Amino acid sequence: MIPIAFYLALAAILFSIGLYGLMTQRSGIRILMCVELMLNAANLNLVAFSSYNHDLTGQVFALFSIALAACEAAIGFAILMALYRMKDTISLDHINVLRW
Amino acid sequence: MAVGDFAFLIPVLPALAFVLTFFLGKKLPSGGAIIPIVAIATSFVISLLITLNLLANPEEVVSQSYSWFAMLNIGILVDPLAAVMLTMVTLVSLLIHIYSVGYMSHDKAPSRYFAETALFTASMLGLVLSDNILQLFICWELVGVCSYLLIGFWFEKPSAATAAKKAFLTTRVGDVMFLAGIIILFSDLFKIFNGTIPDGVYILRFDEIFAHIPDIAAMNANIFGMEVSHITLITLLFFGGAVGKSGQFPLHVWLPDAMEGPTTVSALIHAATMVTAGVYLVARTFPMFIAAPDSLMVVAYVGAFTAIFAATMGIVMNDLKRVLAYSTISQLGYMMLGLGVGAAIGAEAVGISLFHLINHAFFKALLFLCAGSVIHAVGTHDMRQLGGVAKVMPITAATMVAASLALAGIGIPGTSIGTSGFFSKDAIIENAYLFGDTTGAWIPYALSIVAALLTSLYIFRLLFMTFYGKPRTDYGGHESPGSMTVPLSILAVFALFFGGLTSKTFNTFVSETFVNNFVNMDIHELASIGGYHLASHGGHHEPLIILWMPLIVALAGFVIAFLIYGLKIVNMDSLVSRNNPIYKLLYNRYYQNAIFTDFFSVKVIYEGFAFAGRAIDRGFDWTVNWFSDLTLEAGESLRQFQTGAVQNYATAVITGVSLLVILIKVVMEVI
Amino acid sequence: MMPILSMIVLIPLIFAALALLTKTKEQARAIALAGTVIVLLLTVYMYFNFDSTIADNQFKELVPWVESLGINYHLGVDGISMPLILLNAIVLPLLVLFTWNDDRKSPNKFYAFILATEGAVIGVFTALDFFLFYIFWELTLIPLFFMVSIWGGPNKHKAAIKFFIYTHVASLVMLLGIFGLYFAAWDMTGTPTLDIPTLIAQFQFIESGIAKDMIFLALLFGFIVKIPSFPFHSWLPDAYTEAPTAGSVLFVMLKIGGYGLFKIMLPMLPFTASPNLMITIMASLGSVSILYGAFLALSQKDLKRMVAYSSVSHMGYVTLGAAGLVSLSVSGAMFQQFSHGLIMSIMFMSCGIIKNVTGTRIINDLGGLAQKMPKLAVIMVLTFMASLGLPGLSGFIAEVSVLAGSFVNLPSYVMIALVAIVITAAYHLWALQRAMFGVYNEKLGTVTDINTYQTLSMGVIAILILYFGLNPSPVLEMMLTNSEQIVSLMAVMGV
Repeated sequence: MIPIAFYLALAAILFSIGLYGLMTQRSGIRILMCVELMLNAANLNLVAFSSYNHDLTGQVFALFSIALAACEAAIGFAILMALYRMKDTISLDHINVLRW
Repeated sequence: MAVGDFAFLIPVLPALAFVLTFFLGKKLPSGGAIIPIVAIATSFVISLLITLNLLANPEEVVSQSYSWFAMLNIGILVDPLAAVMLTMVTLVSLLIHIYSVGYMSHDKAPSRYFAETALFTASMLGLVLSDNILQLFICWELVGVCSYLLIGFWFEKPSAATAAKKAFLTTRVGDVMFLAGIIILFSDLFKIFNGTIPDGVYILRFDEIFAHIPDIAAMNANIFGMEVSHITLITLLFFGGAVGKSGQFPLHVWLPDAMEGPTTVSALIHAATMVTAGVYLVARTFPMFIAAPDSLMVVAYVGAFTAIFAATMGIVMNDLKRVLAYSTISQLGYMMLGLGVGAAIGAEAVGISLFHLINHAFFKALLFLCAGSVIHAVGTHDMRQLGGVAKVMPITAATMVAASLALAGIGIPGTSIGTSGFFSKDAIIENAYLFGDTTGAWIPYALSIVAALLTSLYIFRLLFMTFYGKPRTDYGGHESPGSMTVPLSILAVFALFFGGLTSKTFNTFVSETFVNNFVNMDIHELASIGGYHLASHGGHHEPLIILWMPLIVALAGFVIAFLIYGLKIVNMDSLVSRNNPIYKLLYNRYYQNAIFTDFFSVKVIYEGFAFAGRAIDRGFDWTVNWFSDLTLEAGESLRQFQTGAVQNYATAVITGVSLLVILIKVVMEVI
Repeated sequence: MMPILSMIVLIPLIFAALALLTKTKEQARAIALAGTVIVLLLTVYMYFNFDSTIADNQFKELVPWVESLGINYHLGVDGISMPLILLNAIVLPLLVLFTWNDDRKSPNKFYAFILATEGAVIGVFTALDFFLFYIFWELTLIPLFFMVSIWGGPNKHKAAIKFFIYTHVASLVMLLGIFGLYFAAWDMTGTPTLDIPTLIAQFQFIESGIAKDMIFLALLFGFIVKIPSFPFHSWLPDAYTEAPTAGSVLFVMLKIGGYGLFKIMLPMLPFTASPNLMITIMASLGSVSILYGAFLALSQKDLKRMVAYSSVSHMGYVTLGAAGLVSLSVSGAMFQQFSHGLIMSIMFMSCGIIKNVTGTRIINDLGGLAQKMPKLAVIMVLTFMASLGLPGLSGFIAEVSVLAGSFVNLPSYVMIALVAIVITAAYHLWALQRAMFGVYNEKLGTVTDINTYQTLSMGVIAILILYFGLNPSPVLEMMLTNSEQIVSLMAVMGV
């Protein structure tokens, strides 16, 4: 059996990649993908702890989380599509209307 | 039922008349004058009956009190002092009202006039009847506001509106002093009762106040390093109120301007009501003054000074009514002097002062009504345009002569022959002599003698300029109607004979107030609280010259006036020139207007203080705005952090979370 | 027993919602009149069933609400609040009548705000729970804010925001004080409560003197700004002046600052760590307000602004009288609130009428109006006289009680106030003379006298001023009962 630490390490790496992407990327799609990565890192943790503790709750929770992530992605992409139609770009450098 | 039970009607009837006339007067002939006339006539009858009853049974003083609120009450008190005042006020007011029917017949708002005069009379009667100092103050203020309304009766005239305001404000200065006196008195009594006042005890009632004079006198206040007994302080403040109301120096400035109202109003203000209130106040609280000899000294000096000060201005005025106005101020000075000499002669001072007050009311009302009659007929009150009026208005002229003789105080000392003014003014001057003899303060006596000379001079000057000789301008004119001449004649009878008929009884009757009846205090005991002794009576005999002196100076005044204005042996033009500094000083009334009104009220109070206040207020506003600007600026700088770039927000969130984790870790380990 | 207090609080609020739904002026004003008259009738009923000889809260309603935090729905009236409720109940129907024929935009909102203010103000007067108290306290701000910013004068937006933020900041400081008191008491007793009488009673057991003083000062600040007293008055002239006439009258009805002073501050005062300091603060603020307001009023050119500053001056008597701590002065100060409400209502109504018919309120541009508007002139002269403290009218009773009562403990402060009496007379008479008397200023064009509704509403208030001036006992008696109780607390503590 693979020790729990391995799962956690993987999740941490995934999370960090996502975090890094979130902070550095300019494209809306890439940022959305990075958010998905972070979310999946969390899901991985949930599943890992679930099997480690022999408790199914964590896995059910992960399923909910995946469903929510799908919704979020749908909405996110819809917003990005709308933005693209309006501004001809999805680079967040140009989408800063929520400024002072 | 005793007649005293109806005493409450005396002020209530004119007050009701005010309400009725105010609402119904317009629909009735001559402005509904009949309502106040009937009301005041009834009041007069009641007052007269009460007075006669008191003369017969001095112990039947009317005294009724009802709880008002807290430890204060309303009530009525008719003792001899109040009774004679009531009778005089109702009588003079009644005659003036009857006279006004003719006088105001051409005015456009007679109903308002009669309503206001009725209220004026009612307030004055309420003042006289009060059995406590607070109610007296309330009516005192009502008298003030009625005078405001009446002086400003022709409010569309700017000068009338200004004069009304000036009268109200000037007397208000005195009123505030009076109020301060009441407040100090209240707190003293409150402390004497130790904060718990038993039910049924009304602490501002006169008997309650007088009963605690020794306790009040024992209290001392430290004012700018001077130890002052509270009784002195309170009486001085009361006198301050009297100074304002009774036109004593330096708060007399409103009185001559009060001539802007109808002449009948002047008669009402100057004779029966308002100005006598100050004298009455001092008389009413006389036991307190007796215990405060310093205050009485001030009263005497201020009175004597006012008497001569106003008389000097009276001799140069060319306006018929202004001469009379200054004459009123001067005569009020005499009355104050009469009260002030109480420091030597005790409660009798109230008698002689009140005697002069009553006599003055008759002859001064008469003088004003005569002047009103002249003005009504010829349409001007500038004496320089008149002359020879006696030919067209014989009745007016005759009554005017009677009044002038009374004012000048013509009569033979030692007998009961003489005009009313003679008896009372002589009594005051003689007692001023006694006062000087006892206390060594001779100045009041000297001033009062010179003022007597000036009095006679200005009133005969007025007579000669107005009624004697040939008309200086073509004024036309006619004798006034019967409704005006009848009151004149009645008043003339009183002016000539009232003093002579009552001089024996009056003094004892009124002075008894403070000896036997209501107050029941030993005047000598009170004086010893003040630390002095009253002159014992009977031992003093004035030299003959003192007795004759007032008559001599009065005749001298007549002679001078006759020589100058009757025979014209002195050319007035050389004296009455703008270059003569004394004339200029007098004619400009010692520049009081410039000093009090233009400089003090306008420059110092209005422009100085008020605008300084405005600047300060802007300062407060600025402070508040500064805070709001500061907040705005802070927001302005802080909003720069909102870049709108998602990555920046994300970075901030992540940094924040990381710091939080580290912080928790550190804190946990420390704990 | 019907829940009469809940009714007089909720009926105006319900009618406010109803008024908001109406379409025309006629419907809106009818609903407003109905609502205010019902409140008046209920209040009169309550007044006649009120026992003015006991100082306790009466008509109490107590329903548990959030028990874990100690919040109750607790209402009651005593001699301090009863007269103020009566004042509101009397003046507001008359105010609706006064505005009966006016034309203005969105009358439905206008009348809804009038009703909402009435409900909120009465709510403050009846609340016996700090939670309710604070809700109603803040609720008064909202309708008044809109009143000023919708129907106000040229600078309405600035005035409305200034009023809102200024008094709101003060309320927040007060809220801090409430929290301080709440948690300190919770700490001590172990059970949370926001009940006002309970918290006041527990205040004395707080151990830390600094905490007691901080709580006291925080609450005091909240009330003083609302009164308002020098130097926190600067929101008032703007708000009062820019508000429409009805708004100004509603501001005058907003006697919640003084109410808090009597109901909450005075019972706590003897138990603070330094009561004498607190008395000095209140007395100096009061007497300076009197004098300062008078001078400022004297220097104003705008009639309404002058009246607004005179209000600052008059409210100084409330603070001074409260600090006087003699039953006469405290009840006089309470009476001053009552009387001031009546007098200022007419003053502001007069200003509104003059502005309406002549188009200006600058005193020097007016003149001789008494000739064209005799009815207004009579009412105005009477009210001005009442405002300058003429005996026989209600203002005098209040002033003389405050001055005479306070002199016992605070002689020098009273002397300051006495100076102001002359100044007060000066600006009133000056304004009367310039605006009403003298030659009629033809530039003003043709003016008409006040209409029947205006005469009726102003006349009734004028008669009340006269009535309470001659016979103050109907309201003064219950005030005396309560002030005696307050003062007896002082005596216990030897302050």
